[in-house]
Amino acid sequence: MANKKLYSLAALFKTPDEIINAAKKTTAAGYKKFDVNTPYPMHGMDRAMGMGQSKIGFVTLFFGLSGATFIFLFMWWCYAVSYNLVVGGKPFFAAPAFIPITFEITVLFGAISTVVGMIAVYFKLPDNAHPLHDTEYMKAVSADKYGLVIEAEDEKFDKAEVTEFLKKLGAYKIDSIYFPEPEKYRMFAPKFILFLIVVAALTSGLTYVTLNKLMYITPFDWMDYQSKLSAQEGSSIFANGEGMRPPVEGTIARGYMPYPYKGEANPTQVLSNPTIPTKPILDLGKRKFLTFCSPCHGNFGNGDSRLQGQFPSGPTLHSEKIINYPDGRIYHIITDGQNAMPSYARQITRDERWAIIDYIRVLQRAENAKESDLKLANKESVSNVQN
Amino acid sequence: MSKIESGYTKENLPLSVQKIGMILAGIGLVLGVAGFLVNSYRASYAYLVSYLFFLSIAVGSLFLVALEYAANADWSTPFRRISEFFAAALPLLLIFVIPLFFNTGKLFLWSHSSYIHSDSMLEAKSAYLNTPFFMVRVIVIILIWCAFYWLITKNSRKQDSVQDQLLTKRNITISVIFMPIFAVTITLIAVDWIMSLESKWFSTIFGVYLFAGVVWSSLAALTLTALILKGKGYLHSAIGKDHFYSLGTLMFAFTVFWGYIAFSQYMLVWYGNLPDETFWYMQRWDGGWKLISLLLIVTHFIVPFFGLLSYEAKTNFKRLKFMSIWILCVHFLDLYWLIIPSMSRTDHIYSFSWIDFVYPIFFVGILILVFNKMTEKTNLVPVGDPKLERGLNFHL
Amino acid sequence: MSIDYSKEITLVQGNLTMAELDNAIARPMDERPGKKYFIALAFTTSLLLLGIIGVSLTFYYGIGEWGNNQPVAWGWGITNFVFWVGIAHAGTLISAILYLLRQKWRTGISRFAEAMTIFAVICAGIFPIIHTGRPWLAGYLLPYPNSHHLWPNFISPLIWDVFAVSTYFIVSLMFWYTGLIPDFAVLRDRATSKIKKTVYSLFSLGWKFSNRDWRHYEKTYMILAGLATPLVLSVHSVVSFDFAAAILPGWHSTIFPPYFVAGAIFSGFAMVVTALIFMRKVFNLENVITMDHLDRMNKIILLTGSMVGYAYLMEFFISWYSGIPTEQYQAINRAFGEYAWGYWLTVACNAAFPQLFWFRKFRRSIPVMFFVVIMVNVGMWMERFVIIASSLHRDFLPSSWGYFRPTLVDFSILIGSFGLFFTLVLLFSRTLPVVTMSEIKAVVEGAQPSHHEGDHNG
Repeated sequence: MANKKLYSLAALFKTPDEIINAAKKTTAAGYKKFDVNTPYPMHGMDRAMGMGQSKIGFVTLFFGLSGATFIFLFMWWCYAVSYNLVVGGKPFFAAPAFIPITFEITVLFGAISTVVGMIAVYFKLPDNAHPLHDTEYMKAVSADKYGLVIEAEDEKFDKAEVTEFLKKLGAYKIDSIYFPEPEKYRMFAPKFILFLIVVAALTSGLTYVTLNKLMYITPFDWMDYQSKLSAQEGSSIFANGEGMRPPVEGTIARGYMPYPYKGEANPTQVLSNPTIPTKPILDLGKRKFLTFCSPCHGNFGNGDSRLQGQFPSGPTLHSEKIINYPDGRIYHIITDGQNAMPSYARQITRDERWAIIDYIRVLQRAENAKESDLKLANKESVSNVQN
Repeated sequence: MSKIESGYTKENLPLSVQKIGMILAGIGLVLGVAGFLVNSYRASYAYLVSYLFFLSIAVGSLFLVALEYAANADWSTPFRRISEFFAAALPLLLIFVIPLFFNTGKLFLWSHSSYIHSDSMLEAKSAYLNTPFFMVRVIVIILIWCAFYWLITKNSRKQDSVQDQLLTKRNITISVIFMPIFAVTITLIAVDWIMSLESKWFSTIFGVYLFAGVVWSSLAALTLTALILKGKGYLHSAIGKDHFYSLGTLMFAFTVFWGYIAFSQYMLVWYGNLPDETFWYMQRWDGGWKLISLLLIVTHFIVPFFGLLSYEAKTNFKRLKFMSIWILCVHFLDLYWLIIPSMSRTDHIYSFSWIDFVYPIFFVGILILVFNKMTEKTNLVPVGDPKLERGLNFHL
Repeated sequence: MSIDYSKEITLVQGNLTMAELDNAIARPMDERPGKKYFIALAFTTSLLLLGIIGVSLTFYYGIGEWGNNQPVAWGWGITNFVFWVGIAHAGTLISAILYLLRQKWRTGISRFAEAMTIFAVICAGIFPIIHTGRPWLAGYLLPYPNSHHLWPNFISPLIWDVFAVSTYFIVSLMFWYTGLIPDFAVLRDRATSKIKKTVYSLFSLGWKFSNRDWRHYEKTYMILAGLATPLVLSVHSVVSFDFAAAILPGWHSTIFPPYFVAGAIFSGFAMVVTALIFMRKVFNLENVITMDHLDRMNKIILLTGSMVGYAYLMEFFISWYSGIPTEQYQAINRAFGEYAWGYWLTVACNAAFPQLFWFRKFRRSIPVMFFVVIMVNVGMWMERFVIIASSLHRDFLPSSWGYFRPTLVDFSILIGSFGLFFTLVLLFSRTLPVVTMSEIKAVVEGAQPSHHEGDHNG
């Protein structure tokens, strides 16, 4: 092993007093690259080695306060800026309520930064390739002995001198520690390739199963499958296997009143006109009359149909018979139809039907006007203008 | 034992200490009486604040002595006597409560039967909040404290001459018994003297709040006195940086503890938002009191927290002295903030008055006089205590 | 029994050398476990299995499987959560707070206590997750940008809980791991099998016991202890805010934070003592975990139990003092209403039985100790349940009054949590060193140099 590079000389001691003394003497002798290894921290060793306090506390302080500031501002931003939500009557910037979380995050950031900083920065760990590992020296030092290591790279290092120095300090054993041989790894070793393939297969398989299968098994199925019947879904409860059923006999639409005289040719009772013939109602009646009734009954109800014989024309509305019809009878005819006239119930709403009836009465009165009506009409039109 | 003997000799404090004490007490007395003559209403409140400050140091010091025995601590043994001397002020509490007993009518609305009978809720409380029962409670509590003080310090003093470990064992027993009694009595003091100023307000944590302040200020008094005495060489020479570091750490811990208790109380009242409870804090947010409340947070928590955080801060004697004085002043501010707002019931009083600052002068003078008297009779260091050697050898 | 106050109590008895300590502590990991261990493990795993069944039923069928109803919408889920978080706190108190108070006697028990903390937090953390309707959506509790522009309700104490318990778990884990690094290194250097050596090398990160590293290590440990102490106080205070921030009589009380923290330490220490009574016997560690340790822990149990008793008195007194009818009713109802049986059991277990510990004889007697700590465990669980049920079951409107009865699923989940905890403890005892090897070696007689300088850097 002649071409092995010397890392250091390592001395072992049996008592705490010896190692403290050794550390002091080593510092005094001017060695800089040396270290002491003890199974547990020893009181007074820092001073003996000429070292001051560790500065890691500043890491904690910095990251702790940063964490506090960050999370406090974040919570303020969420509630006072991003989405103003009133919670329990508290103001948007509810400072007392933000304090607990701020404190927790301070501790969290402080602790994580300290530990990670300690391990990665100060210790420069993980480092299982250090020359001291796997030596008899390390085994002794981790159990119950105390050790001193002087590195070969120190300026004042001379193997014979240092050995003599360590013997004088009272070491019961002195070892030479060498750098480990650098390991060579072949890039394409078959075992390694196999390992990569297995890992790849395992990862992709697990990912696929997790994301596509596990995420959707009941009850993690995002309420995709629910007990209620959806539209067009079949169902085994019903005889014909259909989920969608027709409405039950007698079901009526909301707000719909059934017509009591449907199908009767000559009802003995009829509905009564609920409207008062005001101008808007008469205007409505006129519009609807001209739309629906005038093609067969003529523009003024005289029976002069525009259809010119293509369709049987309706009778005049000014006959004695029709003048004497109660309003409800005319309503029944519009609703149910009569002879050649079909039912207009689908085209004309109920209110419109009454409006038409009011207008028909106006037409009837106009066709059979008397002298006195003219005077009345003049008076009325004057008073209408005044109104 | 030679280490103990070589480091300490009993010396009386210089005459100047007694002079300072007498001057302060004298000025305080004259101005204090004047205060009562000028505005007895305001003076009653101001006197209550200072009286409770005096009580804090006295009973808090007794607590520290009992704590050391109960926890079997040794690092504080070398200067335990300082706390014992401050606790000697306990019997004086009985005398100095007299002006307050004469002014219960000005301080406590519940002492007026007309006020009680105007409200059914207060009538229900009058079984507890009535002047005779109140006075009996106060006197009994102070007497109990005096009894424990006498029992513990008697054994402690005896141990100087008769180095009998049995005395330590007895004191440990007495101290442990004292602890729960102290918890209940300090709570009653907090409820009776401070919480009942607003007889419709209540908070279950209030006893703990006062406890935090009492121990905090007693630690500061102990630290300040120890630093001054060590500087002049009256304490054992082996008392060093590490002892003061521990005292500083305790002061830091109680700073955080007070902050925790104060925040708990505030946040829960704020969160529940019940008018029954919030009005007390609203009083302390009214006008000029807003500034005092914010000042309290800064001076009672933020400054001592950062001021006592680092190792350097706790081992630098100048800084530690400054922080001790700071803590004592801020504890006074805390009591002021607790008590004075209740004074402005009908007319909101926002301004300071010279009367507010007169009584602390008197009571600090009294404390100095008491301390000085005790050093004449007893050793400043408990030379016979079996834990003393370990305490002197204490290192981090 | 005369005690010499001028001497410190020896922490490790029996004049053990460091090598003997190493062997004693590492033996459970080196040897094959015996029949007793497997029987114990089988027992605890079956309890755990019962819990898994209960949790699976809850997942599949929903919270209707529990006894929760209106008005008692919080039942055993929250009770168990607060109970386990409380137990966790003892561990941090032993390892962090006693470290800061420089109580060297903690070294024998700190590793075990920290492990208990982590296991108890795991048990506790299960409950907030399973008590929601769709626990697999728990990720929504954390803030992340989403299309609804919604953020978690930072104002709610329940979210504070999420942050507090997660932080507590992470910090405790790091604290525990930091303490384990030197021990892994010791095990690495003692290891004979290649697998063990690889695993220990990995986890020890290559620790080489260098004093340059110890310097930073000690400071970090102190900083973590200094951070963990207020953290422990804050976690159970935040848990208490779950109740105190509400306006229910019996819940809205300012003393809840310190009361809950004291109660947590109380119940945690009781659990630690319960476990250590067995642990020290089974692993022949009576010289390391001595009667003095148990004595001191029992003193702390007495202290914190008295604090809890103080809180009971304060609550009762202030309920009367406040003059508010609902507060007064609540106080009387708790003591004499439908849950009076629970209340008096609580008072007996928490305030009365620990008073036995005033007497040194009882503090040092294993049978008495065991009885008291079991009672404390029961009492502390019951206390949380009484707080929850007695305030909820008498709602403001009499038409809303109700009563809570636990279901079999409730029972199985509670039993399962104990199963999980003790299974983890048993597994821990055979895979990791139960006592901190490096710390315990540092407090053996003759471990530290004899000369102390006057002032040193510490």
